[in-house]
Amino acid sequence: MTQQAHILQVQGLSFAYRPDRPAVLSDVSFSAQMGTLLVVLGPNGSGKTTLLRCLLRLLRIRAGEIILDGRAIRSYSPEQLARLMAYVPQIPQSAFAFTVAQIVMLGRTPHLGALGFETDLDRRVSRSAMEMTGTLEFADRALEELSGGEAQRVMIARAIAQQPQVLLLDEPTSHLDLKNQLAIYRMMVRLAHDWPMAVVCVSHDINMAGRFADELLLMRRGAVAAHGPPASVLRSDVLASVYEVEVQLLAGPDGLPLVIAR
Amino acid sequence: MTNTSPATPPSGQAKPSPLAGGSTAGGFTRGRLVALAGGMMSLWAAAVALCMLVPWWVPLTGETLRLRLYRLIPASVAGAALSVAGVALQSLLRNPLASPEILGISSGATVGAMLAMLAGSAVFIGVSGAGSITAAAAAGGVVTILVVYFIAQRRGRLDPYTLLLTGVIVTAFNGAIIMFLYRLAPPGVFREITFWSMGQVREQTEPELLVLAGTVVAMGWGVLLGRAKGFNVQSLGDDVAASAGVNVQALRLVSFGCVALMTAAAVTLAGPVAFVGLIVPHLTRRLLGADHRRLILAAGWVGATFLALADTLCRASAFWRVGELPVGLITAAAGGPFFLYLLRRRFRERI
Repeated sequence: MTQQAHILQVQGLSFAYRPDRPAVLSDVSFSAQMGTLLVVLGPNGSGKTTLLRCLLRLLRIRAGEIILDGRAIRSYSPEQLARLMAYVPQIPQSAFAFTVAQIVMLGRTPHLGALGFETDLDRRVSRSAMEMTGTLEFADRALEELSGGEAQRVMIARAIAQQPQVLLLDEPTSHLDLKNQLAIYRMMVRLAHDWPMAVVCVSHDINMAGRFADELLLMRRGAVAAHGPPASVLRSDVLASVYEVEVQLLAGPDGLPLVIAR
Repeated sequence: MTNTSPATPPSGQAKPSPLAGGSTAGGFTRGRLVALAGGMMSLWAAAVALCMLVPWWVPLTGETLRLRLYRLIPASVAGAALSVAGVALQSLLRNPLASPEILGISSGATVGAMLAMLAGSAVFIGVSGAGSITAAAAAGGVVTILVVYFIAQRRGRLDPYTLLLTGVIVTAFNGAIIMFLYRLAPPGVFREITFWSMGQVREQTEPELLVLAGTVVAMGWGVLLGRAKGFNVQSLGDDVAASAGVNVQALRLVSFGCVALMTAAAVTLAGPVAFVGLIVPHLTRRLLGADHRRLILAAGWVGATFLALADTLCRASAFWRVGELPVGLITAAAGGPFFLYLLRRRFRERI
């Protein structure tokens, strides 16, 4: 366990797909703390997914620094990085008919030796990942037999079997119905607060994010427009300028603002 | 966005194999790997022992046994090589329709080997040409895989269907070169080259060629076994694999290299035997499930068994009126319909 509260720090991050093209991200700085859920919001093309891909080291950043657990992420080996940070993709997919238990066990990949033998620890960790996500009951089924919500929970189980300190999710609820959206958000909160880890989630759902996130990061055209607790970010003037629509805030049931586009 | 194109096909199998071993069946341990290796080796050994007795009406002498072994061993090595290469390609491309033959690697290795054979026959290198034939086949395989890869990739991303299509086109192009080389072949080697290029194990494989090809196949197999856990997580997409500590580019590079070399070794021994690299991975996956740590190990032995049996069928066919059939004919006759069946099923799944 790390002593650092700010497990993930992003400082002055800039990125462009090609040197002669305009920057997709420019001078992005923020940090994510252990035990919190940070939701990244912003319109299409604001750089949310690009930011996530930079954090995952899938894209090479042009300027700035991404610091994970006190060290720049470029100084980690792939396996070292994977033991600290895990990723849940937007669309669950498996090219071959692995069972759910096998998929969750794939989360242990960075912890296994060269020939991939599993130890009791690996089995215990993936079992508790399945318990935590409620996926144990379909352990022997294939991913494509499951509903969208179930499959997404399996992908989360696989990611936490990696035992990361930082969990990154790319719009995990974009294909899900209301009930499953709620279940995934509650799961992210539990993971962040109880596990604990820093959960960073890219999303489009302002109201879900406002209700469950500890902190919001609002992006606009590759830069940070607002960063802080939901109450400070979800203001009608900020949202109107970022999304370029008129918004109205209504008082929600538990004192949280509900955002309505007009 | 995930790193895979929307065209990424769904799984080739609807349900996990009952033998796959779910959460309750226990995981992958050293003991299980040894048991699997032992079981698969015994399967192969039993098949070879059986094949040694065919044709059973010919009296057994030391000489007939030696001759039969000299065909069974190269056939086994070639079968193992193509099957393991098929598993690796299907995994890397996340596409159960991929195989060394379909991507054009076999045809590229054939062109290389034929060039070396013709050069050898022209300047009388003779038997010492075994190494140069293998090397030329490897060069042909590597060049083909590079061409196919660079046509089909864009910024390191591979579109599976573009790749398959590119393979088909490159195979046709290589076919033209092969036909041209037939025309150049002197009458003395024409017959041998023709039969070999249909896919046939020769009556007498030079021991040094067998050792060389066997070493290449064993090393490639070993390297791919060490990458098996990477293949597994790679099935979930390139991004997930990268986030789980797999260097996806390195995995691809190393695996394509192994696949090209192993295919070249197989082609040198038995010619471009069609569809083994497609059928055997499917059979093995049906039997053992999708886990590549088991699959890569088992597919080699299943492929060795498969081609040993098929080649024995060919040897037996020499006693029929048609004369001895090339083993490539048998595998193609079985593999063509099998490929169509897979294709049809995938179209059904996607609707």
